[in-house]
Amino acid sequence: MNSTPTLLNRILIGILGLMLLAVGLLLMLLASVPAVATWWHSWAGSVWNGINRAFDSTRFPGRPESWLWLVVAFALLVLIGLMVAWIAQQGKGKNNLLAAEYDPGTVAGDVMIGGGVAEQALKHALAGRPDLAGATVVTYDVQGSPALKVRLQPRQGVAPHLLAAEVAALVDALDAVVGKRTPVLIHIGAGARTRFSRAERVR
Amino acid sequence: MRRILYRETHSTRAAVATVAGLLVMVLAAYGMLEAGVHAIGQPAWLIEPQVAAERIVALPAGISPALLGVIGAVLAMAGLFFLLNALLPGRRARHVLDGRYGGQAVEQVPGLEEPPAVRGNGPVVVVDDEVIASALARSARLAANVTPEQVMVVVSRHQVIVNVRPTSGVPVDESSVLAAVQEELGEMALIPAPDARINVSTSGVIGA
Repeated sequence: MNSTPTLLNRILIGILGLMLLAVGLLLMLLASVPAVATWWHSWAGSVWNGINRAFDSTRFPGRPESWLWLVVAFALLVLIGLMVAWIAQQGKGKNNLLAAEYDPGTVAGDVMIGGGVAEQALKHALAGRPDLAGATVVTYDVQGSPALKVRLQPRQGVAPHLLAAEVAALVDALDAVVGKRTPVLIHIGAGARTRFSRAERVR
Repeated sequence: MRRILYRETHSTRAAVATVAGLLVMVLAAYGMLEAGVHAIGQPAWLIEPQVAAERIVALPAGISPALLGVIGAVLAMAGLFFLLNALLPGRRARHVLDGRYGGQAVEQVPGLEEPPAVRGNGPVVVVDDEVIASALARSARLAANVTPEQVMVVVSRHQVIVNVRPTSGVPVDESSVLAAVQEELGEMALIPAPDARINVSTSGVIGA
C-alpha cells in the first residue's frame, strides 16, 4: 500500500523487455538464417552511413571530433538521472503522522497525532495474545491521507475471520481515542514464524 | 481503499523495476563514458564506438554463429522475463474477507466526525491463502476426528481441495467434513469465493 508507481513500473519494464527481446531474437536470427544476414547488412549499413554523415557534418571547427558526442553523453546522463528518480520512487510512502488538524478551541493551534500512537497502542493490545506469532503496525501515506496497515501472523489453525473481527474492535477503540476514522488494512499472513511454531489448540 | 486492496492482492514489481533501472543505468554510464572520452579526443576505454558499430553492422561475420545464437537467446530470455513481469496480472495467493468488520461498532462510538457506514467502513482484511488453508484444515480435522498430519488442504483462487487420510478401520464421514469446511468458508466470506472439494483417500493410516 505504498506509493510505488505501479503503472509506470509496468510500462517501463515492458519497454525494456520488448527491446531486449527484439535484440535477442535478431541476434538469434542472424546466427541461424542467412537471408536475415543479407537484409541486416543492407539495412544496418545504410543506417550507419546516415549516422556517419551526421557526425561528419557536426565537427568542431578545426578539430576531428564531432560535438554530437557531447550531446550523446548529455542525453545518457539525463537517462541515468531519470533511472535514479525511478528507482527512488519504489517503496515510498511511509508516514509518521496519524492526524493533523487545526483546533480553534480555547487555545488555538494545530493538533498533530503521530503514527507512533496507533502503532504502539495496537502493538501493545496485540502483544499478549496466544494465537498470534507476531504483529506489526505501520502508518502509510495514501494519496495524502494517513492509513494504517496491521500485519498479523497467526499461529496455525486460527480462524482468520474471528481474528479480524477482534482486531477490528481494537481499531474502532483506537478511532474513538484519536477522534478520527483512519482507513485500516488488516493483512493476515503466514511466514516462517507461523510455519515452524506450535499450532494453536485452545481456540 | 480499492487502490490499497489492489496493491495488497497483486505482487509488487519494485524489485524488477529496480533491477531494470540499474541495468539501464550501467549501460548508459558505459555509453556516456565512451562518448565523453571520444568527445575530448582521448583514446577509448574498452572499444572505439565507430569500431563497435562497424562490427555490429558486419555481424554474422567475425563471431562464431553458436556464440551469437547463445547471446541472442540469453538476451531474449531476459527480455521475456521483463515483458511477462510487465504484462501478467501478478496476483498473489491471497483472498479478501468481505469487509464488514467494525461496521456495527462504528455506530456506538461517539465523537466520530464521519457518519457510520453500513458496510465497508471498517478495516479491510486481506488473508494469505496459507492461513485460510490451516484454518480449514483445523475444522476438517475436528469434523473427521483425525490428527493434523492426516489432513492436507490446498487453497487456490477458485478452489479449495481437502485431502483426508482416514485412520485405518475408522470410516470418515465425507459429507460431514464437507459441511464443516463449507460452514467455515461461509463464515469467512472470501472474495472471490472458492468451491470446496473433498478427497478421502482409500488407504488408511495405521496407529494414528
